[in-house]
Amino acid sequence: MVTVTINVNGEKRTASVPPETTLLRLLRDDFNLTGSKLGCDVGDCGACTVIVDGKAVNSCLMLAAQADGRDVLTIEGLATMDRLHPIQKAFEKYASLQCGFCGPGVIMSAKALLDENPDPTVQEIRDALGGNLCRCTGYVKMIEAIQDAARILRDEPVEINR
Amino acid sequence: MRTFEFFAVKDSHDAVAVLAKHSVSSKVRVIAGGTDLLAELKFSPQSPNVVVDISRAEDLKSITLTDDGLSIGAVVTHSQIMQSPIIREMFPALANAAHVIGAVQTRNLGTLGGNLVTAVPSMDGGPTLMALEAIISIAGPDGRRQVPLNEFFVGPRKTVLKADELLAEIIIPRRNLGKPTHFLKFGLRKGQALALVNAAASFWVDWEKHTFVAPRIALGAVAPKVIRALQAEAYLEGREITPEAMAEAGRIAIGDAKPISDFRASAGYRRNLVGVLTKRALEGAYALAQAKR
Ligand SMILES: Cc1cc2nc3c(=O)[nH]c(=O)nc-3n(C[C@H](O)[C@H](O)[C@H](O)COP(=O)(O)OP(=O)(O)OC[C@H]3O[C@@H](n4cnc5c(N)ncnc54)[C@H](O)[C@@H]3O)c2cc1C
Ligand code: FES
Ligand code: FES
Repeated sequence: MVTVTINVNGEKRTASVPPETTLLRLLRDDFNLTGSKLGCDVGDCGACTVIVDGKAVNSCLMLAAQADGRDVLTIEGLATMDRLHPIQKAFEKYASLQCGFCGPGVIMSAKALLDENPDPTVQEIRDALGGNLCRCTGYVKMIEAIQDAARILRDEPVEINR
Repeated sequence: MRTFEFFAVKDSHDAVAVLAKHSVSSKVRVIAGGTDLLAELKFSPQSPNVVVDISRAEDLKSITLTDDGLSIGAVVTHSQIMQSPIIREMFPALANAAHVIGAVQTRNLGTLGGNLVTAVPSMDGGPTLMALEAIISIAGPDGRRQVPLNEFFVGPRKTVLKADELLAEIIIPRRNLGKPTHFLKFGLRKGQALALVNAAASFWVDWEKHTFVAPRIALGAVAPKVIRALQAEAYLEGREITPEAMAEAGRIAIGDAKPISDFRASAGYRRNLVGVLTKRALEGAYALAQAKR
């Protein structure tokens, strides 16, 4: 067993897990953070996307032990008790999702993009979503929502921007 | 995935020590970004007893100019290569090659060292480095040894690395710093698709005679490993730079390639691509040479 401590959504959490445990399994099975989804388990679909030390990664392709001591942000860390994150709000407003399975991954990819690049072009948004497969929508409303969220975040950047 | 013992090392010395200690009696694997290894272990019936995590090895993380040339540490990620000012300035082709690997999430994890050690013929990290005659610095129990990249690959998923050795650094030799180079990948989609063929071309220009100097062409996904198109290179050496010469080099490069047919493309289609991509890579390198002049 390995002992893994990560700072997840601003809270320090520790678990003892078998070394072959992926970060995704740690989040879902040990920390009950089931927002990040298990899709393909091999890096193709992006449903498991989380942000580690500021970078979007496939949590199915990272060992939990490799995340030890790092900052991890998951979809559960975006909203507060009284309000959704502007990206989530925009996804709601534009009806960007249908079944929603890809949603947490797409939104985390968008969050990582907007943290680095507050005013992305459509091409840059497409590039950022290249690793997130959606089988329901056509991505168009996601891109519109991300542009809208970018505008809102540029106007009020502080508050929820963890 | 079967279970294994896990060691996270702080630098390459530490890594070599752990490898030396465990590689005698156990099956040991190195993990860097894990984007190839974890996908493999999830499906492979056999698994390692020991996994050594080098992703935090401090001495393998930097991109630096040294007396030997440009050194890229093994665990530098594709995203870091894309963003490195020195690479964008000297070798935009390397940044472009990094950009077409997988997607953001894989590029943030995946390393250049891991890309080379996986040694699949379609790797996008290989051709540009091969055209630039990169040297691989290998760390082992007896210290460092250096191997030219074209001798590093042995066959599909096989390199010269021994069980107790580590790829430590990738070095682009000083004589090739700033050499105009261009990389192209042709996949079935823009994102998340392996190359049907990829190609890199690199040459200096003798502006007085307007000729090719030291032309190098490397091709991926058309042989069991990344190869140099030696006949095409020999044709171009010292020849006047013209669109016809570039097109002819493309035709000759087809003879250097030995592609196979698979579910992605037929051998014939790949041969055609070799001709087109070689020509375009030469054109791209020439455009860069003109811009830098
Ligand atoms: C969804 C997806 C898409 C992809 N698309 C592409 C693509 O378009 N083009 C492309 O070229 N590749 C692609 N890849 C492959 C992969 O991402 C790259 O090859 C990556 O660079 C591997 O690096 P890594 O650090 O993740 O390697 P790891 O998975 O950590 O290791 C890979 C192998 O190398 C060994 N190893 C790693 N580092 C060292 C070292 N320093 N010394 C000795 N051994 C070492 C490991 O033991 C293992 O055998 C893709 C992968 C995924 C999951
Ligand atoms: S579950 Fe991780 S990319 Fe599909
Ligand atoms: S909304 Fe169903 S997969 Fe994207």
